[in-house]
Formats: sequence, structure tokens, C-alpha cells
Amino acid sequence: MTGTHEITIELGGLRRQEFRRFLVVSAVAHLALVAAFVLTPEPGFRVPRGVVSVELVGAPVSASLAAPAAAPRPKAPPKPAPPPIIKPKKVVLPAEPTTPKPKAVAKAAPVPKATPAPAKDYEDVLAQLRAEAGESAPSPAAPAITRAAAGPMGSPDGVAISPVVAAWLKRAKIHVRKNWVVPPGFRTQALQTVVQVNLSSSGEVRGTPKVTQRSGNPWYDEGVVRAVQKSSPLPAPPEAGAWNFVFLPEDSY
Amino acid sequence: MRIRASHRAALLFAFVVASAASAADRPAVVVTRGSEQSFRVALQRFDGTLDADGFRSAIEDALVYSSLFRMIDPKAFLGPTTTPSMGVSSRIECSEWTTIGADLFVEGALRIDQADFVAEFRVWDLAGCERKLSKRYRQASTAEPNILARRIADDIVEAFTGTRGVASTELAFVSKRGGNPEIFVMGADGSNQRAATANRSINNFPSWSPGGDSIVYTSYRRDNRPMFFLSTRGRGKPGRILGKLSAMPQYRAVFGPGNEELSVVMSPNGSAELYRVRPDGSDLRRLTQNGQIDISPSWSPDGRQIAFVSDRAGSPQVYLMDRNGHGVHRLTFDGSYNTSPAWSPDGRWIAYQSRVGGQFDIWLIDPDGSVNLPLISHPRSDESPAWSPDSRKIAFSSTRRGSADIYVVDSSGDHLQRLTRSAGDDTSPAWGPYPR
Repeated sequence: MTGTHEITIELGGLRRQEFRRFLVVSAVAHLALVAAFVLTPEPGFRVPRGVVSVELVGAPVSASLAAPAAAPRPKAPPKPAPPPIIKPKKVVLPAEPTTPKPKAVAKAAPVPKATPAPAKDYEDVLAQLRAEAGESAPSPAAPAITRAAAGPMGSPDGVAISPVVAAWLKRAKIHVRKNWVVPPGFRTQALQTVVQVNLSSSGEVRGTPKVTQRSGNPWYDEGVVRAVQKSSPLPAPPEAGAWNFVFLPEDSY
Repeated sequence: MRIRASHRAALLFAFVVASAASAADRPAVVVTRGSEQSFRVALQRFDGTLDADGFRSAIEDALVYSSLFRMIDPKAFLGPTTTPSMGVSSRIECSEWTTIGADLFVEGALRIDQADFVAEFRVWDLAGCERKLSKRYRQASTAEPNILARRIADDIVEAFTGTRGVASTELAFVSKRGGNPEIFVMGADGSNQRAATANRSINNFPSWSPGGDSIVYTSYRRDNRPMFFLSTRGRGKPGRILGKLSAMPQYRAVFGPGNEELSVVMSPNGSAELYRVRPDGSDLRRLTQNGQIDISPSWSPDGRQIAFVSDRAGSPQVYLMDRNGHGVHRLTFDGSYNTSPAWSPDGRWIAYQSRVGGQFDIWLIDPDGSVNLPLISHPRSDESPAWSPDSRKIAFSSTRRGSADIYVVDSSGDHLQRLTRSAGDDTSPAWGPYPR
């Protein structure tokens, strides 16, 4: 069936970055990013775009196969703690919509689907901790990822976050989350993207959100920018200006 | 490139100072777990004289099949439901589409040009109101237009996720709908089921060549002995393969990722052993050396390792070895009967069937054995997992409706879909590669 036809393909303004190139140069790129910030008072950094992916008519098989095979594994991200090996147990899926067989299903032990234990909602915990820290409560060590996520852009250590800000952080998170599409394949990867968003006092997103830390997967980064753009207007921030948003597919990374 | 710690600290400090100071002073909003798993699509009917509704619904079906897209009912459109024209104008009213909740907007035209279908389309990423993709396909009008529709849908999947969709791919499987087991082929959604063999013998274990040109299978069609044959789908010479090795019974052949070699199961002296060989029969190399059963090879996507099943420890279990038969080690330890390993094209998982009680469920284990979890379970048997080329879906055969049928499920365990409904057993699915 296939191959009996010729297909002509023309590409227009495709904005996808070529993925593998980023893997190869990722380390250098990160340093270059830092250097760019050092050298320019007003960082002119923006997401490089415009690499056009070209598919050719009757391209060699290897070319068409290379795409998925070479695809998209960020270079060994730090592995999360290995989930426990799950014992084989009978797991009952929801019966097919068409014709459920109640009898058969009833026989099976309804053990909940074996997935890694739900992780804590880190940022909720963090917001709460910070609020508490403002009231001079002892501040336990924050989860490593949260410190990493805040990175150089996070709140400097020892600076308390007011309850007003903490509440907004949470509201903003919930608002943006609703507009963020994360395809299932991305959920199992340790991806982290940071974008700087310029917000008006009423919460409108001004200009294009700026990716300041890439995940290594350009489609994930694009999805993050898309989520921010779609979220405009956000809940009104405590003050207008630039805010950093850290995006993680799961709480546990 | 190495930087000393003190320099690193200085750079970091400079970075903090130089970046927009206000953002650096503020805590970050940490967003986790996007609550949407699929994009919402506003898809216009393509302008043209052909069956616009049929073409639109074919694109829609293929997008929905990906489990990554949801359609917005055209009745909700504020803008036109049919693309008025595909002129050079490169602006649309994005607000008309974002207002109804769309993430992307697809417009296009379908027409006949001489003896060809020509489909032209544009995809808009509405969040930034930017044109994301623009393509034109041409195809002989004797072929089914839905082929173009599926191509378009797979392109859209790729534009938004980085990995091409698989609506255009095909599956081979074994069907007894005519009485004896024959090799069949169908579309990834179960459409267009047709026989690839019709020899009234026993045919089993289809495996695609990486280029998709041929399917190797085991048949008893000659002398009532198991031998390897190729079905070439009109693109080469069909018939015997590895004929010079036929002194041994030939049980199963599986193409390696490079088209240059196969892993085969043959029986030199009563026990099944694994070999590696070129398609022309040269460079035969025996990989397992014992009196036990070693079967069901599945290549890692880089071709460096092979997963297989052996009963050397007393019960059938999944093992791994390198391509030369060295470094054999056991992968599965839970359960007393684990077979049919299938390595995902992205290398991340090995799917296999595990006997639980009196039936099989499909499980996923990662190649270092640290994560092992059930994909799907049912009181009836689910067997013979096969990965889609994008590693997002798994086909398998199941007796959950009586006789065995082929089903597809997302690798997350969601969106179970039945592909075959024949009276005879449909088993041994093999998912073909992306079409050219």
C-alpha cells in the first residue's frame, strides 16, 4: 500500500529546533549562556529558532527511521531514586467501555494500580515552609530539587517570603498548571525548564516569556512557553515585573 | 572545558547581578504536573472539491488515535468551519480560536491536480499566534486519500511533541479467521485488514524489516517443516530466506535494527538456540550454547543487546545478552513464567508477558531491572506485546472477548482500543516501522 505513491513535502516556517544539536553542544551552550549574561548588561538572549527540519521525497529509509530512534533523550538526567520493585499483583484496569464483564472483573482482587508512590507537592510544602520561616519557625532542609529549581534566581537564602507572596505563588502555579499540556511521554522524564515572565500589575503577560534554563527537550520548553502565554492574564502579582517560573513534569524530580 | 571553583562562583555572581534584577530578587513560581495531557485542536474542513467531511474526519481520527489531541466541535467555531482559501496570506484571527479554548488551529486545502491528490495545510500554534508548520503533500489519486490524512495527523503530532505520530504505520499479525494461521496486515487503527499469505499451511511469528519493505515469518508451507519466508509487499522477491540453513528446523527470525542481520531461533540438536546471521545466510554465529530452550529474541534499538527467553533456571525467564552472546544475565525475577520480551524503540522499557494465576498480563521492566510494573491486567490473558515505533503504544493479543484479538494501549496503560474482531484467533502482533 505505502510506497505506491510519491509524496511531495514542502516545509514552511517551522520553528522546531534540531534536537540532537542541543545534546551535543549542551554543555558549551550553558557556559555560553552564563557568559552572555556576564558580558551584556541587558541580556539579549532569546530562544534560538528557525532551524528548519526538512523531509525529502523518498528520503532514505535510514533517514526516516533515524528521527524516532535518535529522538529525544536528554543526556542522562540525574536519576530519581529508583522506585521500589513492584511485586507482581493482579491489577484490574477499568473494564472496556463497550462490554464490561462484571463477573470476571469481580473475581479479581482490586489492587490499586502499581505506580510509584505519589510524591509530596513540593512547592506547596515549600510555600508553607517559607511562610512559616517568615514567622521564625525553624526551617528544615528544603528538598534538594527545590533548591536546585530556585537556583541563582530563587529567593536568596534567609530572605523570608511574605504570606501574600507565598499565596500568590501558589495561585499562579495552580492557574498555569491548568493551561500546561504535558504529553504522557514527558511525564516520566526529569525535565526542568525555567522561564522569565514579565507580568503587568494586573497579571497580563508582557512580551514573550524568556527561557532562561532549557530542559534539553525543545518541545518541552516550547510547551512551557505556550502554557505561560495561554495563562495570560495570571492572578495579579504582588508587584509588576519579571518573575521566574520553574516547570517540572512531576513533583518528584 | 574546566573552570575553577572560584571562577565559577564569580561567574554565578555575575550572572545573578546581570540578569533582570527584579526576577532574581523574587521567589520562583514552581509549576508541576501540567493538568492537561492533550492539545485541543480546531480543525477546519479543507477547501476543495473532494469529500471534505470525510477527509476532515480521517485527520480527526488519526489525531485522536495519538491520545495527544482532542478535537473541538466545529459547531463551537467562531471563525469559518471550512478554510476559505489557502492563499499566501499568513495571518489568522488567533483570538477567534483561543476564545474557544484551542491550542492549535489547522487549515488546509485538498484538490486534484492532474492525476494527483494535493493536500496543503498549515498548523498554527495559537498561544503565540505563530505558524508552526506548513506542508504540501502530493499523492497519486488512485490511492486512498486517507493515507494523506494520516500523514498530516502524524506531522501535527510531531510538530507539537517532537516525535512523529504512528497513525500511518501498519501492524502484521497472525490470524486464524480462515481456519489456518496466516499472516495479515492492517493499519495501526485496525483499518484495511488483509492477508499477506494464503498458503493454507501454518504461518507464524511475523517480523518487519526495519525499512518496512518485507516481513519475515515462519511457515510450514513446504515439506511440513518450519522454514523462514519473506513477504515483500510487492517491493522485492518473496519466498524462502536463509534457505541454506534449513538443515536445522527454523523457528523464528527477527530483524535487527539495521536491516543487515537477523536474530534467529533454530534447533541444532533438539533444543532451541539463538543465532545471529545476515539475511543472505552468511556470518552465522551461534549465541547460546546449552541444552536448554533459548527463544523469543528482541533487539535493543541500538542493536548491541538482545533480550530473550530461556528456561535455563528451571522456569522461562527474560534474559539479556550482548549481540555476540556474551554477558548473559537474567532480567526478570518476579513470577514463575515470563516470556515474549519486546524492547521499546526508545530503549527505555522491555515489555513482556508474565503469568499471574492461570493467565498472562503485560508488564514493563527497564533494562537494568530496577523498575518493574504492570502495563495492563485482565482476568483473561494478554500476550505478545509489540511496541509502536514512537514507543507511545503497545499492541498485544488478548482473549478478553473470547477468541484472541489484537488490542492497542498507550504505554501509560490508558486508552485501550480493540483493533480486530474476527471469529478466529488474531495473535502475534508485530508493529511496522514509519512509512517512507
